Formats: sequence, structure tokens, C-alpha cells
Amino acid sequence: MGYALTTMAESSVVIANAFHHVAWGTPISVYFWLVGASAGSFVISSFGWVFGIKRYKPLAMTASLQAIVLLLIVPILLIWDLGKPVRFIYLMLPGYWHSTGPMAWGSLLIFSYPISMIVYVWFVMKNDLFWAKTTGIIAIVLAISTHWYTGVVMELNPGRFINHTALAPLLFLTGAFISGIGLLILILWVQNMIVAVKKRIDWSLMEEMAQYMMYGIVFDCFLLFLEFMQTFYGNQHELEGHETVLMGIFRFPYLWLELVIGLIIPFFILVSPLKRNKYGIILASFLVAIGVYGMRVWWVMGGQYMQTFF
Amino acid sequence: MASDNNKKSSSENGKTETKNHRRTYGIQTPGTKGIAGTKRYAMVVDLRKCIGCMSCVVACKSEFGVPLGVWRTWVKVSDKGTYPNTKRMFMPRLCNHCDYPVCVRNCPTQATFKHKDGFVLQRYNRCIGCRTCIVACPYNARHILPAKRSDKNLPYEVVDKCTFCFHRVKKGLVPACVQACVGGARIFGDLNDPKSEIARIVAGETVTVLKPELGTQPSVFYIGADWEMMDETHSYNNRTVQLKQEFNDFKRNHVVDGYGDIVEGESTMRQVGKNMGDFLNSIPHKASEVVKAFKKLLFE
Amino acid sequence: MGNGWPIYANILLREKSVPKINRRDFLKAGTAITTAVACPGIVTSMELELGGSDFHQIRTFHPRERNPYLCTMCPYFDGGFTYGEAGRIMKVEGNPDHIASRGKFCSKGLASFFSAVDPDRILAPLKRVGARGEGKWEEISWEQAIKEVSEKVEQAMKVGADTVCLNEGAFKETGTIRFMDTIGSRSVVRSRFPSVSSTTKQMVLKKALGVDFVLPDLEHTKYVLSFGGNILETAFPLAQRLTDGIVNNRLKLVTFDVRLSNTAGKSNEWIPVFPGSDGIVAMTMANVIMQEGLADTGFIDRWTNLSSKALAKGLAKYTPAIAEQASGVPAESIRRIAIEFASEKSGAIFTQNGISYHQNSVDNEMACFLLSVITGNIDNKGGNCLPRQFDIASFKPVPAKKGSVVRKLNHSFPFEVKEGSRKVQVLFNHMSNPVYSSPASSVWREVLKDESQIPFIVDFSPFMSETSELADIILPDVVATERDDVASSPTALLPWASMTIPGVKPQGKVQDVRITLKKIIEALDPDGTRGMKKYWDFANTREWVKKEVEATRGLEDGYKKLKSSGVWPDYGKIDLTTRQIMNKGQPITGEYNTYTKSGFKTASGKIEIKIPVWTPNPRHAQMQPNEFVLSTFKVAYHTNSMTSNLKYLSEIWHSNPLWINKQTAAKLGIGDGGLVRVTSDAGYMVTKAWLTQGIHPQVVGMSTSVGRSAYGRVAQADPDAELAFPGSGQQNDPDIDENIWWRDTGINPNDIIPISLDPETGVQTWNDTVVTVTPAEAGDQYGDIKADNDRHFAIYKKMLGKV
Ligand SMILES: Nc1nc2c(c(=O)[nH]1)N[C@H]1C(S)=C(S)[C@@H](COP(=O)(O)OP(=O)(O)OC[C@H]3O[C@@H](n4cnc5c(=O)[nH]c(N)nc54)[C@H](O)[C@@H]3O)O[C@H]1N2
Ligand SMILES: Nc1nc2c(c(=O)[nH]1)N[C@H]1C(S)=C(S)[C@@H](COP(=O)(O)OP(=O)(O)OC[C@H]3O[C@@H](n4cnc5c(=O)[nH]c(N)nc54)[C@H](O)[C@@H]3O)O[C@H]1N2
Ligand code: SF4
Ligand code: SF4
Ligand code: SF4
Ligand code: SF4
Ligand code: SF4
Ligand SMILES: [Mo]
Repeated sequence: MGYALTTMAESSVVIANAFHHVAWGTPISVYFWLVGASAGSFVISSFGWVFGIKRYKPLAMTASLQAIVLLLIVPILLIWDLGKPVRFIYLMLPGYWHSTGPMAWGSLLIFSYPISMIVYVWFVMKNDLFWAKTTGIIAIVLAISTHWYTGVVMELNPGRFINHTALAPLLFLTGAFISGIGLLILILWVQNMIVAVKKRIDWSLMEEMAQYMMYGIVFDCFLLFLEFMQTFYGNQHELEGHETVLMGIFRFPYLWLELVIGLIIPFFILVSPLKRNKYGIILASFLVAIGVYGMRVWWVMGGQYMQTFF
Repeated sequence: MASDNNKKSSSENGKTETKNHRRTYGIQTPGTKGIAGTKRYAMVVDLRKCIGCMSCVVACKSEFGVPLGVWRTWVKVSDKGTYPNTKRMFMPRLCNHCDYPVCVRNCPTQATFKHKDGFVLQRYNRCIGCRTCIVACPYNARHILPAKRSDKNLPYEVVDKCTFCFHRVKKGLVPACVQACVGGARIFGDLNDPKSEIARIVAGETVTVLKPELGTQPSVFYIGADWEMMDETHSYNNRTVQLKQEFNDFKRNHVVDGYGDIVEGESTMRQVGKNMGDFLNSIPHKASEVVKAFKKLLFE
Repeated sequence: MGNGWPIYANILLREKSVPKINRRDFLKAGTAITTAVACPGIVTSMELELGGSDFHQIRTFHPRERNPYLCTMCPYFDGGFTYGEAGRIMKVEGNPDHIASRGKFCSKGLASFFSAVDPDRILAPLKRVGARGEGKWEEISWEQAIKEVSEKVEQAMKVGADTVCLNEGAFKETGTIRFMDTIGSRSVVRSRFPSVSSTTKQMVLKKALGVDFVLPDLEHTKYVLSFGGNILETAFPLAQRLTDGIVNNRLKLVTFDVRLSNTAGKSNEWIPVFPGSDGIVAMTMANVIMQEGLADTGFIDRWTNLSSKALAKGLAKYTPAIAEQASGVPAESIRRIAIEFASEKSGAIFTQNGISYHQNSVDNEMACFLLSVITGNIDNKGGNCLPRQFDIASFKPVPAKKGSVVRKLNHSFPFEVKEGSRKVQVLFNHMSNPVYSSPASSVWREVLKDESQIPFIVDFSPFMSETSELADIILPDVVATERDDVASSPTALLPWASMTIPGVKPQGKVQDVRITLKKIIEALDPDGTRGMKKYWDFANTREWVKKEVEATRGLEDGYKKLKSSGVWPDYGKIDLTTRQIMNKGQPITGEYNTYTKSGFKTASGKIEIKIPVWTPNPRHAQMQPNEFVLSTFKVAYHTNSMTSNLKYLSEIWHSNPLWINKQTAAKLGIGDGGLVRVTSDAGYMVTKAWLTQGIHPQVVGMSTSVGRSAYGRVAQADPDAELAFPGSGQQNDPDIDENIWWRDTGINPNDIIPISLDPETGVQTWNDTVVTVTPAEAGDQYGDIKADNDRHFAIYKKMLGKV
């Protein structure tokens, strides 16, 4: 052993290099989280009107309003994050629009999705079943697309080994689904405390949503497992990216926040008898919602992190 | 005089050429390697001759007034081996002016484009500073310009990168870094011209490019590159403590749009919080920029 | 929305019209395009020029105004151009047709023009208010400044002209020596000698060869031995030839150094030696070469004062085994390298401070020089050539008083003042910064601060250096881009001179030191009756330069050409591919073996060698396991204390952790990046350790040029600092205010480096200092420095006893 150590040539050490910033940081991760939660809650909102599951009709309003409000914060974040905020308009000007840039489609989606939601909500308020359903379908496609594209934006960077996977949009969508539900449950819980007894949403509905959330968690774990397989059995960059970046610098958001707090603990809550307990569900919802934020952090920044030394 | 030149060159171009040009910054650009009638400017860096003098870095920085904390070109240095069999290696880096530039494909506003003579260039007036291209570039070749720089007439808070010294090459000069290169390690020319020095070297010597597996088709070729230096993961895992400390200083003190830096050794989530604080701090400045822009639009 | 770059925008947007590069454009822009056939079989078509013009990168590619420029950041004096725009220098570049620089400037040269627009620069005469060193200044007029200074000089001259002292650091004479001669003072001390050679090398070569430098012909050589020199970091005109030789000529480079400098790191072989032991290695190699019959005995017998037999006999006692013991270099390596070197057709030797800053430096230099002599590698192709250079002459020189001590280093100056053996009334300081760069700099600080020891201090520095801070009056000089200048340096096989013609007016109220001195002389001798004024008969500095050129042998007719193109003679144009200077299709080369015509410039016309003697340093023999030799070295990106406020340079290099061998550090329990206490005989400092595979186990290393306690916001990485003096900050640089990202600015070791002069040369033996390195103690903070001046003084006294 000692012999092996002394004869082993030391590999090179980098003694000087330029430094690089992580170009997409916290504002972007918050934005991904909000877009996701918005899309997730909108999916729930559409259960009643679009898919005709009657018992979901009462919460459609709250869910879509939540989706709209979350989405209203998004452009503000995005625009102020630009180096030149005024120029956000270029993203939609015909002479500028660049069809191969995922960001270009994304910006169209981000602006059309809230509009379609508002139209949908308007018909919901007017109780117009046909138009609510029609606009709801459009809106739900846009909702999913809006979030799907955030995955694509990250995915189409061949140099970022952690992000460059076709699973990216699915991971994003699953995360969106569960965090959307989590947030919705929290909001409905608060709403129930405020509004008249008659207007309160029935807890059995929450329990049901919590079960959907549980299925989402399972699916998310499955996707993460696939990711894990790829990084582990993939090339050295992927493996090291997982080992030194995710398990190193992003250990807290990755391992603790997302996996343990955001998935494993809620999963056990939701399969245990606690799933019938109001506070159990609330706790699980809360954990899922913040857990997904952990994923947004490592996903956005972790993928760029290793390269800042290259 | 110079603008005359431009007019002439555009009229000389003729119709077919014009079409060609449009394509260069529309959808994914066709490569220019080996295409008759186009040039493909490229650089060879002969690492046997690179002495790490950083003349290229200073020449480039002075040429463009590049602000502190960002680089169009830089030189990576590493030590290899155990005492007394130790070697030092230098590797200059810059934009590869890829023939398949990921940055161009991902830019939402066509602000970055591929010139038909091989340059990948920026249009500062189009760039919105979204930094998609920075994330897309596998070589760290791009940077966002800080809000404050020496010459306030030069662009700021947009993305910039090496231009292969377009303005000099157009005037028949080699790029500034090639001009300055003490070791004579940097060689520049037209790869499509079989008689050029660079075409001879690329054809005749063993050259490598960075991350060939990504298929970006770089136009910067290296002679004598060390695999460890070319390897991203290796660089990440083998940094000196001093470099880590320096990098942390950099992250603490050099705040530009992006807000994604994590200081190593400090709580990650606290850093995330600090980033958000920096972001919120930047809003008043940006708001004043917006007001300025509207004033300009309305009153000038 | 187009914040000031609409024109560029237009150019790129109008396309249709992305500008196309065509041959006509550059034919128009460039000067004549040389078509050259470089080597057979290769048709070149490098259609781009290597320099000589410049354009704005955005504003419609405007051509910039070009003026000749000569870099004075180091004694190599490379020639180039400044490129200006609207009264401001935008950049500098080497002149591609300059035979030595061939268009290449090092990073310091390229950044040098920033000194002119440095926002921390002193732009008007300053007078201290408050106590000396307190850092309070007021701006005064030049009239007042000249009046005050000349009055003080007048008073001092009444006591004795020698009480007016000059501490000089310039790489070349810029009027200060003439001033001292004019007023009849012999008190000149120097912080460095004006030459590209190290001090000891100058002395040794002067005796042996009659000249003070030898130029290794690196482009043509097959083998290079470098002893204690760092070609790739400190000698750039040579460095570019070395890389050409490495690739084109496949030379072998062997570097003897105590640490892995960039040169050592790029060498075919790096041989770590124990400090100060290069001499015995070289002697041994010489012995091996003689023994093996590889020496050029014909050359030795014909051209040296010793016979080859006598030489062989004298060297015989230096066997590889003995050398291995003293130097740690394996006997087998010494033998092998010696044989390799002597077997090649040609070989060159390069030596510098690494071997000449030691107690035994004279013998070290002589031993290394012997290697060239015995292999006949003197003034031959690929060997060490005699310098070809114009000696820029002093026009109408002042007859110097007998005993003018121009060639004396300043290291003992503060001790002499302190002990009273040197009386100083007025101290002029020019281009020197002893409070930062001399040994025992804490003693300098103490002495300069004490008004009773030196009543009046005048500094010419354009920047507030550690020394300027202690001055009473600062008369700011111009910087290189603003100075009319001419210079020559022995860096090529043909002599050359280059010139600076300032393209811009000096900033603020600064004034060339020559004009300042002229005004002082005029104040001292208003009507010329004291015989001083007649030596200062020039209208302006351009005229001064003209007179110098006309007085210089071989350069008499060069002024006109120098003024227009910056270099003279005009040897040809650079080839675009081979980067050789070409004349009529042929690369120009120097003449070799010049000595065969008229002999060497020594009394005997032969090389006067002495058989070197090996004397080990007794202190080094007693070193304990935690004792090390401290080596302080220069880096490629700074010149001594001149460059640390240049932002692009300090961005590259701003801190100097202590290099320590990884294995040794492990034994001492020192971790990478951990704090260590470095203790010398005169004090201690606390710094960070850098564990490396690139340093001798008994050596620790630290770079100089950083660790500034003054000089400006960039040097100190303190962007928020307020400037202590008025008249500056004319053009604030937002880049400096906002974007300086580094905070660690290193430590200056000179406070704790005790004085220790080589008895033969009077040179500080920088590379002999012994220090103890231990992990930092409780309460130690990074950057703590404690120097004990009494100890410094005691060491000085002890040294005097020995000398
Ligand atoms: N970039 C740059 N260039 C410069 C200057 C500058 O400040 N910066 N200054 C100019 C001036 S004034 C000078 S004097 C020259 C100096 O030029 P150099 O002499 O080349 O520079 P140094 O760094 O002083 O010393 C050279 C090397 O000697 C090594 N050394 C120390 N002790 C020993 C020893 O015992 N044996 C051996 N073999 N090596 C040893 C050091 O590690 C160092 O690498 O450079 C000139 N050029
Ligand atoms: N520890 C350690 N110390 C060393 C060395 C070492 O290797 N190790 N090297 C030694 C060597 S080789 C040398 S040569 C000396 C050099 O040391 P010095 O001769 O003292 O030279 P610098 O430190 O370069 O200081 C030059 C000063 O000139 C002023 N100056 C700068 N530009 C201009 C200008 O344009 N005009 C005028 N009038 N003034 C200007 C500035 O105040 C600057 O600080 O240092 C020595 N000190
Ligand atoms: S190196 Fe990066 S910035 Fe340059 S062309 Fe390639 S992808 Fe674009
Ligand atoms: S930062 Fe500018 S160049 Fe880069 S992708 Fe965004 S708009 Fe395009
Ligand atoms: S080609 Fe020009 S822009 Fe690019 S690195 Fe060289 S000097 Fe800088
Ligand atoms: S200028 Fe040339 S030799 Fe110097 S670091 Fe740059 S590429 Fe290397
Ligand atoms: S080597 Fe010396 S003279 Fe030449 S550019 Fe560098 S500092 Fe100036
Ligand atoms: Mo020196």
C-alpha cells in the first residue's frame, strides 16, 4: 500500500484558471418552481370542468386563481432577471423571434398560458360549461407546455451533463404536479379557515388529492431513479457530476430537501394511517412543495456548477 | 472611410451572397468548413510554444476594454507530476467559433449568429441578456458584461465573447491575441484556403479540439494538449486550495446578472438566499435603466 | 435603447450586409503585403498582417493614431507602438518589424499604458502636511515646489554637496545622474543596476570578457542550460526565441532552479538544486567535459588566458560525487547533462539572479560562464554571443567628480544613515521603492520617517508608493507613454535602438523629471555663473533625446528614422509566417565570431578566466528540519513594485502564498492553504501555505511585486479606499470601483529579510535567507508582520565586522 502510494504519479492540479459565473441562478430556480406549481394546480382545477369530475368543481376557482397569481409573479422574475429588462419584448417581435431557441417558444407560452387561463376562469364564473371545457383544454395544454419547455430549456444544453437528458421535461412536469397539489392543499386549508362553513371544501377531496400526490411522488422517484441510473452508469462526467456536485455542494437541496424531505417523508406519511389525518396531509403537502424547490435549485444551478471550473 | 467600405462590401455581395448571409443567423447555421466561396477562420494553439505569459489575455482585454472578472480569453495553468518530475502546462482558452454552435441555436432573439466566414458574433443591440447562450456553450466562452465598465459607451449587461477580432481581421490584421502572443503559439488563418499556414498545420499536425464528443465542431485547434487539462471533470476535482479560495472571493465580490454562485464551504441554501437578495438589490438599478430607455424612446 | 453602440448595430443589422472580408479591404488597410517564400516546398498565404495598425472595435472600425513607443517596464526596452484615439492611448503593441521584440510585448508591456490613465495617479506636485508618513497632502504649484526644493539643495550644498543624496532605480539614466554630477554630489546609491544582466554577472563578465552581458542565441542553439534564470518569465525577447528553438530546432532545455518556475515547468528537464550550489554543479560539469575530452581545447588555448591543461587540472577536484553531496543533483545526471551539452553542435547558457544572489555568486557565475568557454560556445551560432547594442551616450557629459560612487547598491544606506556614517540633508528618490523592495525594508521605513536623520525627502514617483508616502515633496514624473525616450538593449544579434514619441499630452500637471531637474538647476544657477546651467541646455525632452541620439556611436544618423518609425536601423520586414525579419527574401542574421577580428575587449584581448572555487554557505550547512531557504522570485506579470496598480496585471497575479514542498509540509503538519509563521533572524510574518510538487524540499518560495501597503486601490484590492491626496481621480474608472473581485493581496517579505551583502560585490544575497516555517500560532492573523529593527541593525553590524 505504502509502495503503491509513493510510486503513483500525482495527477495534475489546476493552479490557475479564469472564473465563471453560474449564469442561471436563484431567480430562475424560483421561477421554475412557480411555473411548476402553477401548472400543477391548474391541472387540478381542470378536473371538474374539463374532465367532468364533478366533486372537483368547487375548487376549480381557487386552483385557477392560484395558478394565475403564481404565474403573474413569473414574468416579473423573468423580466427583471434579464440583463436588459426593457428588451423582453424582443422575445416576441417577429424580426427577432428565433425558432430554434427554446426560450423563444417558452416566452410565447408564458404569455399565452395566463391569458388562456383568464379566459377559462371567466367562463367558469359564467358557468358556461361548453366554453369552459373548450378553453380549459387549450389552457391545460398550454399549462403543460409551459412547464414542459422549462425542462427543454435545460435539456438542450449538451454540455451540461446533469441536465442533458430527455427525462428533464417529465421530471419537471411530475414535480410540477405534486408541488401544485401540495400548494393547493395548503391554500385550501387556509381558505377553509376563512370562508363560511358552507363554502368549505370537503376534506375527503383533500385526502383524494393527497393520494394523487402520493402517486406523483412514486412516479417522481421512479424518474429520479432512472436519472440516477444514467448518471451512475453513464460516462465519467455524469458520475462525477452526481458524486461531487449533487452529493457535494448541492447535497442539501438534492439529498435532504428533495429526496428525504420532499419525497420520502411525505410518501411514508401518505401511505401510513396519517393519510387520513388532516395535519398529516398538511405536513406532507408542505414538505412536498418545498422539496420540489430543492429539486429546482440543484437542477438549475448544479448542472452549470462543475463547468465553472473548466 | 470605414463605413464606405461597408457599403461597398454589401453591394459587392450580390444577391446570392445576401441569401447566404441571412441563413447565417437564422435557424441553425450550416457549417462553413470546406464550403467553396466562404472562409473559415480558425486558430491553432500550439501548446508546445505557449509559455503562459498571459500577453494574449492582456492584449485582448485592452483591445476591447474587457471588464475585470470576465474574460474573452484566458490561460489555464496546471502542474503535473511528483517532485522532482514536475511539469507545468498552459492552455489558452477562447470561444471556439464552433461550426455547430449551440449558443446560436439556443439564442431566442438571433442576437448571436454565425457569420459566413466562420465567426460566431454578437449583436449587442439585440441581446436581452437572458444568458441562455452562456448556459448552452459547453466551453464557458461567454460572459455577461457587468453593469459598470470603464467606457460607458460600450455595451453592458449583455452577453459578450471573443469575436475572433472580427474588426481586425476584416482590416487584414491578425487578432490581437495572435499579434501579442510571445511564444508564437497562436496561429490564425483561413482553413478553407488550402495554401494557408493554418490549413497546412491542421492537415499535417496532430491537432485536437475540446470536447469533440459534443459535435460542436470547434474552430480552435490545439497541438500538444494534455488530456487532463482538456477534461472538465478532472479540472473540477483537481483544483488547488488557493484556487478555491480565490474563486470564493470572486463569487462574493463579483456580482453580475445571474445570481447563481454558491460559495463553497458556506451553507448552500443561505447562498441561495443571498443570491435572491442580490437579485432584489439589482431591481432599482434595472428600473432606472428601464426609465432611461423609455425617456430616450419618447423624448429623443 | 441602443446605448451608444448604434453604429455597430447598423453595420451588423444592415446586412444583407454582414461585412464581407475581401482581399481589397485588407490590401487597402494594411501596408504593403510582403509575399515571401519561407522555406522550400511551402507556399505561404498568411494573408493577415501581424500588426502595425489598429482599429476601434466598434465605432465603425476607425483607424487609431499610431506613435512609436518604447517599453520601459523592464530593461529589455522592447520597441512598439501606442495607438491613440481622441487624446487617449487605447492600447500598445509591439512593432512587428523591430528586430528584438518582433511585435511581441509581454503582459506588463501591453498593460503599461494604463499607468497614464490610472485614477490613483499623482497629477500635481504634492507637499506633505502633518507629520511625515501621516498621509496628508496638499497640492502646490510647480513654482513653489521648485523653489522649496532648490532652497533645500542650496542649504545642503553649504554643508557639503555630498549631503544631497540620490536613490536611483531607473533602468537607464534619465537626468538624475547628470543632476548629481552638476551639483557635484557623489552620493548616488542604486536599488538596481541599469542593465539586463544581474549585478554579479555584469561584474564577472566585465572582467572576463570586457562586456557585461552575453546573449544566448536561443533560436539557433541545440541545447540550453539555464542556471537560476527564468527566461520565460523575466526575459521575454529571449523567451520568444526559445519557443521558436523548442519547436523549430528541437533544442533541449535543462533548467536548474530551486522551484518550478514557468521556465522550469516547460523545460525538458527541471533539475532542482540546493540554493547556491549551482556553482559546484557547473564546475563539475566543466570538469566532466574536460575529462571526457569533449572540450574545445583549441578555443581554450587560443582565446583564454589559461591553457586547457591548467584548466583541466584546476577543475579536477570537482567530481560528480562531491557535487551531488553539495547540490542534491544526482551525480549521474550531472555527468549525463555535461556530456549531452558538450556533444551538441552548439549550446547556450543563461544565468540570472538565482545564482547571483548568493554569498558565492562570483564563483557561481564564473563556473557557468566556463561551460560556454570550454565548449567554444562563445559568439558562435547557437552559443553565447557578445552583446550588440548601442550605448546611448550622455550628450555633453558633466565631468564627474573623482570618486563618484554611481555603482553602489543602496542596501546599506539606511544603516549608514542610522549609525551616522552617512550624512544626508536632502534625499532624492527616483524610480525606486526601497521601503518595499530593499532588504530590511522596515529599517528604511524607520529611517526615512525620521526627520532628524533625513531632513528632506523628494520623490519623483507618479504613484504613491510605500516610499513616496514618506516624502516631504512629491514631484510627479511622467510615465512611459508620455516620455520622450530612446534606448537600446542587447537582445538581438544586431544592434538596434528604439524611441518613444508621446502621442498624448501628459495627464494633469505632471512634468518630466528632466524638466523638473533643469528648473531646479536654473533656480540654483540662474545666470550660469556657477557653471551648472550649461549642462542643462535643452528646450524640451525631445531635444534631449535628439542630442543623446546624435552623441551615440553608430546612431548619429538615426534620429529622423527613429522619430518616424520608432526603430533603427531598418533591417527589413517581418515575414508573415516564419516571423523572421526578412531582407530581400532572406532572413537577416547577425555576424558570428566577431572576436576573431579584433579579440575580446579585455586588456589581453583574450577571455580572462579564473578557476572558480566552491565555498558552501556555512549557515546552510546547519539547517534544521523546519528551516528553509527563502527564495523570493519575480513573476511574468509584474515588474518589481511598478505594476501592481495596473488592473489587468493584478487581476492575473495578486497574492503570494508560500510555496512549500508537499512532502515536507506533511512532515511539519502544514496543510494546504493553512496559515504558517515564517520567522527569520529579524522577525516573522504570517502567511498562507501552498503545498506543491514544484519546489525543493529545503526551500520555501514567495513571489514579489504583491503585498502592497500603498500604491493604489487596485494594488491593495480596496476599491472603496479614499485617495489621500488631491489632484487625482481625474477619470474615475468604474471598472475599478465596482469590479475588483479579489481581496487577497499577499504579503511583502522584505521587512523580515535581513541585510546580507555578498562581500565581493556588495549585492544583497536575496536567495540565501534562512527562515523557520511553523504552523501559525494561536492569535496569528494572515498578514501579520513583525520586524525587529534592532535585530536588523545588529545583523548589519555583525556583517560589517565580517566584510
Ligand atoms: N516579469 C518580470 N521580468 C523582469 C523583472 C520583473 O520584475 N518581472 N525584473 C527585471 C529585473 S530588475 C531583473 S534583475 C531580472 C531578474 O530575472 P531573474 O533572475 O530571471 O528572476 P528572479 O525571479 O529574481 O530569479 C530567477 C530564479 O532563480 C531561482 N533561484 C533562487 N535561488 C536559486 C538557486 O540557488 N539556484 C538556482 N538555480 N535558482 C535559484 C528562483 O526560484 C527564480 O525562479 O528580471 C527582469 N525582468
Ligand atoms: N524580496 C525580494 N526583493 C527584491 C528582489 C527579489 O527578488 N526579492 N529583487 C530585487 C531586484 S532584482 C530589483 S531590480 C529591485 C527593484 O526595486 P526598485 O529599484 O526599488 O524598483 P521598483 O520596486 O520597481 O520601484 C520603482 C518605483 O518607481 C516608481 N515609478 C514607477 N513608474 C515610474 C515612472 O514612470 N517614473 C518615475 N519617476 N517613477 C516611477 C514607483 O514609485 C515604483 O514603486 O528589487 C529588489 N527587491
Ligand atoms: S465556443 Fe461556445 S460561444 Fe463559442 S461558438 Fe461554440 S458554443 Fe458558441
Ligand atoms: S443573452 Fe443575448 S445572445 Fe445570449 S441567448 Fe440571450 S439574447 Fe441571445
Ligand atoms: S481573437 Fe480577439 S476577441 Fe478573441 S480572444 Fe483573441 S483577442 Fe480576444
Ligand atoms: S500569449 Fe501566447 S504564449 Fe503567452 S500565454 Fe498566450 S498563447 Fe501562451
Ligand atoms: S519584456 Fe520588458 S521591455 Fe519587453 S514588453 Fe515586457 S516589460 Fe516591456
Ligand atoms: Mo533587478
